[in-house]
Amino acid sequence: MRITRYLTLWLLLVALVGTAQAQQDDPARSLLEALASASYAAKGEAIDAIVESGDARSRAWLEALNDGKLQKNKKTGQFVVVLANRGRNWPVEDALSGEPLGEMSRRELDRIGINNALRGQLRSTLAVLDLYVDNPDARLQAANDLLGQVDEAMMAPLNAVRDQESNEAVRDRLTEALAIYRLEQGDPQAIETLRGSLHPEARAALNGVVAGADAKLAAEAKAALSGIEQTLKINRGVETLYFGLSLGSVLVLAAIGLAITFGVMGVINMAHGELIMLGAYTSWGMQQLLPGQPGLAVILSIPAGFLVAGLAGVAIERCVIQFLKGRPLETLLATFGVSLILQQLVRTLISPLNRTVVTPEWMSGSLVINDALSLTLNRLYVLGFALLVFAALMLVMRRTRLGLEVRAVTQNRAMARSMGIRATRVDMLTFGLGAGVAGLAGVALAQLTNVGPNLGQSYIIDSFMVVVFGGVGNLWGTLVAGMSLGVINQVLEPWAGAVLAKIIVLVFIILFIQKRPRGLFPQKGRAAEG
Amino acid sequence: MTSSTAITALPSRASNSAMSPSGMWLTRPFTERSTRLFLGVLTLALALVTVLHLALPEGHALHVSSYTVTLLGKYLCYALLAVAVDLVWGYLGILSLGHGAFFALGGYAMGMYLMRQIGDRGVYGDPVLPDFMVFLNWDSLPWFWHGFDMAGFAFLMVLLAPGLLALVFGFLAFRSRVTGVYLSIITQALTFALMLAFFRNEMGFGGNNGLTDFRELLGFDLRSDATRLGLFLASGVALALGYVVCRGIVASKLGRVCVASRDAEARVRFLGYRVERVQLFVFVVSAMLAGVAGSLYVPQVGIINPSEFSPLFSIEVVVWVALGGRGTLYGAVIGAVLVNYAKTVFTGVMPDAWLFALGGLFVVVTVLLPKGIAGLMTRRSKPDNPTSLKEATP
Amino acid sequence: MSLLDALADRDRVFDFLVPAASPVDVRHGPILYLEDVNVSFDGFKAIDNLNLTINDGELRCIIGPNGAGKTTMMDIITGKTRPDSGEVWFGSRHNLLTKSEPEVASLGIGRKFQKPTVFEALSVFDNLELAMAADKRVLPTLAEKLSGEQRSRIDEVLETIGLETLRSRQAGILSHGQKQWLEIGMLLMQRPRLLLVDEPVAGMTEQEMERTAELLTSLAGKQSVVVVEHDMGFVRSIARQVTVLHQGSVLAEGTMDQVSNDSRVIEVYLGAEEEA
Repeated sequence: MRITRYLTLWLLLVALVGTAQAQQDDPARSLLEALASASYAAKGEAIDAIVESGDARSRAWLEALNDGKLQKNKKTGQFVVVLANRGRNWPVEDALSGEPLGEMSRRELDRIGINNALRGQLRSTLAVLDLYVDNPDARLQAANDLLGQVDEAMMAPLNAVRDQESNEAVRDRLTEALAIYRLEQGDPQAIETLRGSLHPEARAALNGVVAGADAKLAAEAKAALSGIEQTLKINRGVETLYFGLSLGSVLVLAAIGLAITFGVMGVINMAHGELIMLGAYTSWGMQQLLPGQPGLAVILSIPAGFLVAGLAGVAIERCVIQFLKGRPLETLLATFGVSLILQQLVRTLISPLNRTVVTPEWMSGSLVINDALSLTLNRLYVLGFALLVFAALMLVMRRTRLGLEVRAVTQNRAMARSMGIRATRVDMLTFGLGAGVAGLAGVALAQLTNVGPNLGQSYIIDSFMVVVFGGVGNLWGTLVAGMSLGVINQVLEPWAGAVLAKIIVLVFIILFIQKRPRGLFPQKGRAAEG
Repeated sequence: MTSSTAITALPSRASNSAMSPSGMWLTRPFTERSTRLFLGVLTLALALVTVLHLALPEGHALHVSSYTVTLLGKYLCYALLAVAVDLVWGYLGILSLGHGAFFALGGYAMGMYLMRQIGDRGVYGDPVLPDFMVFLNWDSLPWFWHGFDMAGFAFLMVLLAPGLLALVFGFLAFRSRVTGVYLSIITQALTFALMLAFFRNEMGFGGNNGLTDFRELLGFDLRSDATRLGLFLASGVALALGYVVCRGIVASKLGRVCVASRDAEARVRFLGYRVERVQLFVFVVSAMLAGVAGSLYVPQVGIINPSEFSPLFSIEVVVWVALGGRGTLYGAVIGAVLVNYAKTVFTGVMPDAWLFALGGLFVVVTVLLPKGIAGLMTRRSKPDNPTSLKEATP
Repeated sequence: MSLLDALADRDRVFDFLVPAASPVDVRHGPILYLEDVNVSFDGFKAIDNLNLTINDGELRCIIGPNGAGKTTMMDIITGKTRPDSGEVWFGSRHNLLTKSEPEVASLGIGRKFQKPTVFEALSVFDNLELAMAADKRVLPTLAEKLSGEQRSRIDEVLETIGLETLRSRQAGILSHGQKQWLEIGMLLMQRPRLLLVDEPVAGMTEQEMERTAELLTSLAGKQSVVVVEHDMGFVRSIARQVTVLHQGSVLAEGTMDQVSNDSRVIEVYLGAEEEA
């Protein structure tokens, strides 16, 4: 019975797809009138007729009917959609024109009743209906919703829709949805189709068959499942790698400024974390200045963060560090003092509470690779940003006069000075550069976490570990060390937990330093010893 | 690097160790004026506080309250910790940013003993399990809690736990010649890792809340005034003993090897000394002293939790030493007492300003007062100090 | 080499059979023996197939332009740098390549650095005391007390190096020349079998140089002395045997006259000296 009805439905639908039809209000009214008839069978046919009409409002009508919100005014015979059915008086709108009609008493209205059979019909009708919209993304979404929801009645129309579908992704999805149903019916060929699927519904269907009575089918399903598990494992691996690289890019950003100051000046800057914090607050401040334009604020805060943190760095160098030349341990203590002051300054001037930075639209959301893997966009941007900053720094070091002078001072301070390089000026600029990069790290971090006075503290020890692990005075070392520590951390996390993973990484580095005191990429030769 | 760290010299001993009447290194310090002076002042202070606490009635202007006695006891523990840090930093040139870890381990060892002493008087009334274990639904004591019901074992662990950690860590670090800022950073990483670990409930040390609600120590009620005075005096005696041990080391030939390897490590090796073993020995002694300080600190403040492991605390200890004057030992005591007194006053009057003051102190001390208060005092007493000449000829 | 081969090798002396402080065996001639030693830093060959033999009691001068590998050679002998290949033996018993710096020092090899390195925060007396041959393990050092004999030994050396009046001054305030003397004094306190002396007369007056030359020649015979020096006049005044190093290997060896007439030496070294 129902099969034939659906058959006619899809035949008509097919006919409708290509033909644009001007719609009149009068025929639409008669469609609704048919719904109000007393017989459920007639109602069923009326639903089909509405779908056949291809009316743009048909979805709203059918949804309202499904929710019991499509009603008829007892007196005027006007069809209305109830917007909220709480209390005595309900706000309603005209079902045909969509005009708001104010409130009506529930007693004035007559609900168009449906039974369970009709509910089932409505549900599948609604599901298929969405496959006719123009937007392919919406069609894909509709097809996604169908996974595991297909029943016998929907087979035929879905098959037809699939053959008509121009978008490959939607077509594949529909094939998958149909295969899941066919598998449930014991069709061995469906397993072949589902072999490549990563959707949980497909796995659930296969699992159902494995537990089922048909031994041959169960064995095949099992084989298909193990293949899927394999693919899932790879996907999970890729995801872990992505999270690891994302964490690693944050570490690289945080550490690379430190690597420059430490490598060139032998200075341990404990206030480095607070310079990161300043960058993050600059990003937040920029958003306060440009309300409603988070995208512009983010872009502007990149140079602003660099400048604010860089100037702060130059100030620290001029006021404190230059008086502590050649006394690295004292410098460490003094800059730690500076870090306490900066933290407390932010707490007093802004707030001890965390602030959030709005993520602009083009940075939110995620990049969907497949059912099991999607990459969040903001992390992707930060990863790219880190690599960009790294490349820029490499260029500065390799191709500019400052870079040349910095390398000269790193290798032999006395000799560089005697060749006319003003080492003090190089120190100041280097420190400013390192601090500016810290500011950039802060801008990036503000997109990932809350901005607060303690932001820097939580990154300082990690940054040191990266620098020490990578080897002092080597930017490549910092990149490799940061990325690998990020990945190691993410690999350990699932079975050790976040805190334990961190502890393990710290202990690993402590042990690593014993084996290779100069890090992964040490500076070699007589000059480096001493 | 080498020339800059040579700022502190040993007290001019000319050749007094050569003339020392006894070969025992521990008695050698008593022949020094500075040690006798220090011990004299300390004894006087202990006696004065005791008398003012006991003899004067409450409400008298000069009466020292039980609260103040405990506060001073806390300062003495901090002073002992500072002396331990000065031993490795001032004489060996190792800036440890992780001495808080040894302090906390000693404290935890004592805390575990005190927890076991609570017995069935806890909230849950379990005769064996401390409250937090009952709360976590544990049904038996973890293996490392056994034995802590015996005072002797617990006190031994106060020395052994930090000592062993220092031994293993130091062995690895000094063997591969990790020095300077690298060593500082990994000591900081060590204490940070321990802090994270102790925050975990699964570790079995009470997690976040740590160990608290102590009742008695060796049968004495921790809340009674007499016990508090006793702990104060015990802290004073521990400080005196620790001071003498450290002074004994630095006044011996080994102490001179320390100073020599602080300034020119490679050269000392070429003389045939195994610098890494010297460093390891002194580092372990220092860690044990820090552990003792922690163990006396815990019953006085009534709690031990993972915050004692925080890198901030360890680095704060270093600034006490820097303020007092590194490489003098007594300077560490002066610095610890001064900074902590200031902290007590500041956090009472204007808590927000304390971090500004502490941060400023770090900067001012390192930039303007590289030799600390002790340096100021010696400069006044001997204007032609040879150590200052040294800096003029790098 | 497999274990069996090792056992079959009759000349091999197993490390565990050699007591740590066993005397140096010089019955077979040389006290120091370097064979085919190679070291490179980042692809740069600092030492290239170096062969060198120092006989017991010999005074040998080693000269060579900057970068010839003189200091690196000293580093290899004293255990600071490990060569990529080659052998270094002290006497016929001690393989120096298996020893750390303190072990090399306690075998009886003393070293004076190019840049005078004394312990600036310690007194002159203390500097000598630390250098003195003694039990240098940790606990004995902690408990050690000077005996009368040791004190007079220090006084003796103080006299030799002319610093008696400065005995309780901090070493840091000494002049450059005085520091050189103090370091030589520290070498004497060690009573080494072999002295490695790197540029001993840099910063000394003519008079002081003469005294140093006298001192070094008087040591030879009882002890073996290897001197690395730039000052040709000084080398001429003390040298019997001279070795010229160039680019990490031996260029020429012989008496001062032989060496200074060697055409290759004149080309690479004496020519270079004129420029400077």
